[in-house]
Amino acid sequence: MSSKVISQPGVYRRNPVARWLAADTMAGIKRQRMLLGYLFIAPTIIGLLVFVIGPMLGSFGLSFYKWNIFRPPEFIGLDNFERLAGDTRVFVSFRNTFILVVMTVVMLESLALALALAVYRMANKAFATFLRTAYFLPVLLSGASVAVTLGYLFNKDFGVINYYLGFLGIDNIPWLTSSDVVLFTIALTTVWRNLGFTFIIYLGGLSSMPGEVLEAAEVDGATGWRKFYRVILPLLSPTILFAVVTDVIKMLQFFDEPFIMTRGGPGDSSRTVVMMMYESGFGNLDFGYGSAIALLLFAVIMIVTGIQFYLSRRWVFYG
Amino acid sequence: MTHKLSRRDLLKMAATSAAAATAGLMPTIRIFAAPPRQDSVTLRFQENADSYGAVVEAFKAKFPNINIEFVEVSGVDHAEVASKILAQLAAGQPVDIGYAATEATQLYAGEGLALPLTQRALDDKDELAEYFADVSPTLVEGMMYEGDLYQLPRDFNAAHIYFNKTLLAEAGLEVPSEEWTKDDFTEYARALTGLGENKDSFGFGWTNRLWGSWTPWFFVNDTNLLTEERAPGGEAIWSTFYADEPLAEGRGGGWRWPTPQANNPSMVEALEYVVSLTTEGLTPAVEIGGGSTLDGFFVSNKLGMTIAGGFWGGALVNAGMEKGSFDVQFWPRWKSQRHQFGTGGAWILNGSGSEDAAWEFVKFNTATDVMLMIPWMASASTTPVRRSMNTAEYWGQTGIENWNVFYDALDKRSDTGPIPAPVFSIEMTNIYTRFTSLATSGELAPKDALDGMQAELEALYARNG
Repeated sequence: MSSKVISQPGVYRRNPVARWLAADTMAGIKRQRMLLGYLFIAPTIIGLLVFVIGPMLGSFGLSFYKWNIFRPPEFIGLDNFERLAGDTRVFVSFRNTFILVVMTVVMLESLALALALAVYRMANKAFATFLRTAYFLPVLLSGASVAVTLGYLFNKDFGVINYYLGFLGIDNIPWLTSSDVVLFTIALTTVWRNLGFTFIIYLGGLSSMPGEVLEAAEVDGATGWRKFYRVILPLLSPTILFAVVTDVIKMLQFFDEPFIMTRGGPGDSSRTVVMMMYESGFGNLDFGYGSAIALLLFAVIMIVTGIQFYLSRRWVFYG
Repeated sequence: MTHKLSRRDLLKMAATSAAAATAGLMPTIRIFAAPPRQDSVTLRFQENADSYGAVVEAFKAKFPNINIEFVEVSGVDHAEVASKILAQLAAGQPVDIGYAATEATQLYAGEGLALPLTQRALDDKDELAEYFADVSPTLVEGMMYEGDLYQLPRDFNAAHIYFNKTLLAEAGLEVPSEEWTKDDFTEYARALTGLGENKDSFGFGWTNRLWGSWTPWFFVNDTNLLTEERAPGGEAIWSTFYADEPLAEGRGGGWRWPTPQANNPSMVEALEYVVSLTTEGLTPAVEIGGGSTLDGFFVSNKLGMTIAGGFWGGALVNAGMEKGSFDVQFWPRWKSQRHQFGTGGAWILNGSGSEDAAWEFVKFNTATDVMLMIPWMASASTTPVRRSMNTAEYWGQTGIENWNVFYDALDKRSDTGPIPAPVFSIEMTNIYTRFTSLATSGELAPKDALDGMQAELEALYARNG
């Protein structure tokens, strides 16, 4: 279809670009709609460019340099990556992070799903609303304040938790000062703060399940565990995938709790990858090396997420 | 005609838009970045209005053309504050006047961030003579690096032992004499353990960091984490301001810490002793941090002794502890009774373009009446560097009877030295606290922990030439 200019105000006639955009033809209208669409998403695109893609590219470039803020960056090729390959502390931090991810995600998903099911089935709607609010409240707290407060509670000698465990005849547990339990303590703290978010996601998933399918299942005799396993779980699987993927990505970036509660200690037993990255950059003033760690973490997150999506083909039901 | 925009086109458009937007902003940025009129300067000052509001008001009354903008930076210790200052620098938002404690003095000086102040101090010697005469040369030397002075000290804290007098009374003990020993200390720690209403007090508590921590123990065991020597230089400061001061003799141009010696036998002995306090149950589990956990335990009579400087006096009263219910004493003698300290003061950003205005502000802050405008300084929540401010009246706010030990750690003990804090002190501190935690938690034997610490410190020194 050829474009045909029907009418144009004089001012546009003199500017060919404006004339092209404002052409009162089918093609012109399409262009205008398209432009409007792009204008709407422009803030997001610009935000992504400035705050995500730009820093990512900057970090990628920085990983080939030695830079301590004070002196000009010095190009060192792949030295940072060679150092990374031989840095056992970085691998310890990855191991710690993976352990934390497994512990927190398993606890989060199972507890959140159980709570969501309980609240979903609750007959007393007012109490259900109260519980929804109560479980979500910790999400509104800052990670730092939660870590500080729970740090006091978990204190080995003066903490409230050991005080009450003492009534059960349990000796003081070095929650934050023993490498045997410190990751578990941090996982517990994180689960307490994040449970509400995952819980709300599951509750949303349960509420949007088609009622007729559940009723049909009941008519067919599916009750209890069988109904949950054969009907609810498959229907909820896209929600579970979303919750697991977002929680895993979030937990791979563990920082607040271990940084405030233990500073990564004892030794490196609770040091996470993001802590290593932060300390390399802002503690040791080795921004190139910190960037190399960041890139490695980025790659790991991509791979883990990719694996999750690949495996999801086998168990996620989109019907 | 149809015209479809591909994703590539879209990205091109977005990039062009971003570039255009940036270009469009440039004139604005230039306007904001334009040098201020000669008669008006704004200084970004690393402090907060609650602490320095009155000081700034008084300064503005004297220098109406100099504006002060507060930049609040907090952290659990000075190393963390330094990290945040550097983060701001990396983000292109440096402060014009910062506050650095010993932990970061050489970092800022050694990397060229801080402006050398020696010549300015000499140029204004008449104005500053009274200040220097009132400040121990030990503190001034602690603010020097490779022959130059970089900060005018504001406050300091030497590590002393604080005693909870309620628990002392319960144990039937008095605050010991100045000459008490490590063995006396051990007996005190034992006597002060298991007291209180619930019989759950600990004799001694400390936190894992550089200042305080177990650092005083290796100082009195006549060693240090790093070897020490004095840098040459500084003669102009000593001859101008401390010509008749015996304590200034033999001083140089600041401290150097040329090599690590974390695993020498005296260091191992000191750490073994500290760990034995934990294994014997005299010390609670040692955590990393600023020591706030211990505040509450001391106030609630669950801790008999702990490490702190003058800063803790006002803090304990503010936390609700009754005046006079605690007291202080020198660190106990072991092989020596050498004390450690950390001091701090304002530094000026090198190359900010506002150095002259910043210097006026720094000088203004050295006056006694100005220092007392800072609420926590006025309430004895730190140790002022001015000898004349350390009086019975000043420390009477806390009820501390042995307040004289705070400044006597400088005036009566010429061997008192700063905590080791070379240019790369942040990374060094991380290594120090990490291996210390492995020893105190029982994960590693003290000797093994210190061997590991030494290996990493050697690698750190190698990386930093």
